[in-house]
Amino acid sequence: MRYFLVVLSVIILLVSPFFGQIDISITNIFDTTKMDYQIFWDIRLPRTILAFFVGAILALSGLVFQTIFRNPMSSPFTLGVASGATLFTAIAIVLGLSSFVSFFAFLGSLATIVILFIIASRFHSSETSSLLLVGIALSFFYSASLMVLFFISNLQESYEIVRFTMGSLDIVGFKDTYLVILAGIFILFMVKYYQNSIKLLLVSYQFAHLKGCNVKQTNYILLISVSIAVGICVSITGPIGFVGLIVPHIIKTITQKSAHTLILPIFFYGGVFLVLCDLVARNLGTTSDIPIGVVTSFLGAPFFIYLIIKRKK
Amino acid sequence: MLKCENYSSSILHNISFELQNKNLIILGSNGAGKTTLAKVLCGITASSCVSIEDKNPSDIYGENRTKLINYIPPKLEIYDEFMSVEEFLEINQLYSHKRIDEILRLVNCEYIKNKKCKNLSSGEAQLLLLASAILHNAKYTIFDEPTSNLDPIKIKNSFHILQDKNILQNKIIITHNLNLAYKLGFDILFIKDGKIAFYDTSEQFFNDTNLEYFFNDSVKKCDDNIVVNL
Repeated sequence: MRYFLVVLSVIILLVSPFFGQIDISITNIFDTTKMDYQIFWDIRLPRTILAFFVGAILALSGLVFQTIFRNPMSSPFTLGVASGATLFTAIAIVLGLSSFVSFFAFLGSLATIVILFIIASRFHSSETSSLLLVGIALSFFYSASLMVLFFISNLQESYEIVRFTMGSLDIVGFKDTYLVILAGIFILFMVKYYQNSIKLLLVSYQFAHLKGCNVKQTNYILLISVSIAVGICVSITGPIGFVGLIVPHIIKTITQKSAHTLILPIFFYGGVFLVLCDLVARNLGTTSDIPIGVVTSFLGAPFFIYLIIKRKK
Repeated sequence: MLKCENYSSSILHNISFELQNKNLIILGSNGAGKTTLAKVLCGITASSCVSIEDKNPSDIYGENRTKLINYIPPKLEIYDEFMSVEEFLEINQLYSHKRIDEILRLVNCEYIKNKKCKNLSSGEAQLLLLASAILHNAKYTIFDEPTSNLDPIKIKNSFHILQDKNILQNKIIITHNLNLAYKLGFDILFIKDGKIAFYDTSEQFFNDTNLEYFFNDSVKKCDDNIVVNL
């Protein structure tokens, strides 16, 4: 089963750049005179790599959130962090500061995490569902603010915001991809570096404290790392829902292993999941690509409901 | 030396005592503040009133703290669904050179080794906590009701482990099991209305006058055992 999944994933990653509205032949991709060459190297390959790292970052962020906020429903989306980044990006667009979107997105996710953490520290550890409710309330607040932005912005800005909130992996060239690769390596490094603390936190805060961990500091560092990485992703691709929520759960359910041993698999399969969703989005035969956020939510929403039902049993 | 000087909170008032290489039993009615005190002693609740070997357990991290103190809660709480007993014990192995199998045999629970922690019964979980304390082997270990979920055979086995001078260094045991407290023979600290109502040796505590004073007519000595008088 494990090897089958790995092989299948590698195949998905390898074939993904070859399929889309225009089929590419493998013999042409090294021929600089052909159109296929440009499509492959300037559009398909950067896009696949971008999808992989965005998926990986979101999935790993989901794991970190679920560990720190001690709730299986936590992810950058359910707790409003991605909505915060989206709102701040929209603000940047309206203010005409489009070149600073990454920075604004980071500010938005960081601000949300700070709010959540301040509120969380007032709760007892058993009250994690209250935190989830706060996250949902924050999301609503952000969407309301986004609506306000629509009203005060002009047609061009509104269109830009709408396209952005749908989530899209449309990029040309490697410029944005490099940034996301960096963010991906950064978050993977941070989570790996704190693997031992995460192992302790997976038992309980109290336990981690008793085993010598500086719980507060660890939480802050991990959450700030996540907000940097998620902020960068959102600023480039817009909000892409459900990857962070479902991938950690799928991997945990399949492997039946403790989450601290699953950092690399969650990173890898998160990437594969988004590449697969993107592959689906690009090949449904519609005149233009379906936004990636639509595909992930389409697959994610039923799973989320399934998860809630299973948890109740 | 473990020292607590004038600690006060909403339920505890002016708690002061010292413990120098000794075992201790903390008694008191439900809600008297025993667990609160335990959490202060191990630094989970930060306070400047506590010092262990002249260090404040809420200010130090890593080895500095783990070497000194450990707290064993009454119930095993693990957030992760799939953590196995063996994995849990591995992260507890800090200062003991004993092997995990050896400890599981000692607490009479070898068969749980490959189970997931989430699937343990409350009694098995309590024995797992006892095993984890032995593997951690801190200078002071606080047990919060270590026998509350155990059957009589397991209580007796745990009693022998807690009594053994060679297994753990200094033990602080919070319990409602008066017979356990009596037979262990450790010093007694009794908390009543948020204050220390008694702090002396076991012999001083377990006489009929004190039993009558602290527990009314609900306990009595019977064949050198303390039993609940129903």
